[in-house]
Amino acid sequence: MSWINDLRKLLSRVRGASPAAEGHDPITCREAVDHLLEWLDGELEETESKRVGAHLETCGRCYPRLRFERAFREALARASRSQEAPAELREGVEQALRRDGFGPD
Amino acid sequence: LTSSDSPGAAGTSPPGADQSRTFRSEALVHLDAVYRFALRLSGDPDTAGDLTQETFLRAWRGWESYTVGTRAKSWLFTICRNTFLRGEGREKRHTEILNELVDEDPRRASGESAVFSSVGDRDPEGAFWDRLVDDRILREIDALPPEFRDAVVLSDLEDLSYQEVAEVLEVPVGTVKSRIFRGRRILQERLYDVAVASGIIESTPESVSGQKDDGA
Repeated sequence: MSWINDLRKLLSRVRGASPAAEGHDPITCREAVDHLLEWLDGELEETESKRVGAHLETCGRCYPRLRFERAFREALARASRSQEAPAELREGVEQALRRDGFGPD
Repeated sequence: LTSSDSPGAAGTSPPGADQSRTFRSEALVHLDAVYRFALRLSGDPDTAGDLTQETFLRAWRGWESYTVGTRAKSWLFTICRNTFLRGEGREKRHTEILNELVDEDPRRASGESAVFSSVGDRDPEGAFWDRLVDDRILREIDALPPEFRDAVVLSDLEDLSYQEVAEVLEVPVGTVKSRIFRGRRILQERLYDVAVASGIIESTPESVSGQKDDGA
């Protein structure tokens, strides 16, 4: 049963382009998924970024992956922001700097 | 901005006032970020506080050598990490050797995620990530192997580019990329386990049969 799914999947990857992205360009799901993380990181050059983005945002199979990675990233960022430097530390740093010539302002 | 003692004396500002002002607006604004990074590195609030203070003192003393163009933020992270490693008595060379063993897997550079594959049918858009508690997420980040942790923290928590992370960690960009990608996958798997253990998401019904995100 599951081998049928695997086969189907393989075929669709080989065939490439998802219906949703057809209007745009011939980028395959495989290609889009391969570049998903770099795309999210803003590390692709412009032309490629547009191709990959257009596919990821419109392809019914790839879009959930994008949402999934985004949700993960947002959770990390949110957790990180929950921590701030304590006020005493801020004060302590400034005091130490002042002893070292950091000027008044 | 290397205006050291210029004898112009045209202003009322005491010497160093300009530098203090730019240091405040370009470096001190990153105090929270440096403190968080120090927390991830050391895992301890007191140590992180000391590290943060040390970082800013060093940055202030080296402010004239700071080249505008590099982001002050990554420069501060570099100082922070080097200070930490020195304090640990850890030779860079030592970690470098470990890195080479760890970094050989270019095939991970993709959006393939084992966790996505296994929850794809139950939670295809990863809503469960949002229900994880901050502290648990941070604990799992801290528990990552340091090479992966530092890369993921700088990239995903502090928004540095691959190039900037490479400069902070003093490794090639390709290495950074593979560490970020693999670090994320490891973290996803661990957080997924946390989510299952805390009932945020049901565990996989029975099989490990993997990907079944076919259909419509």
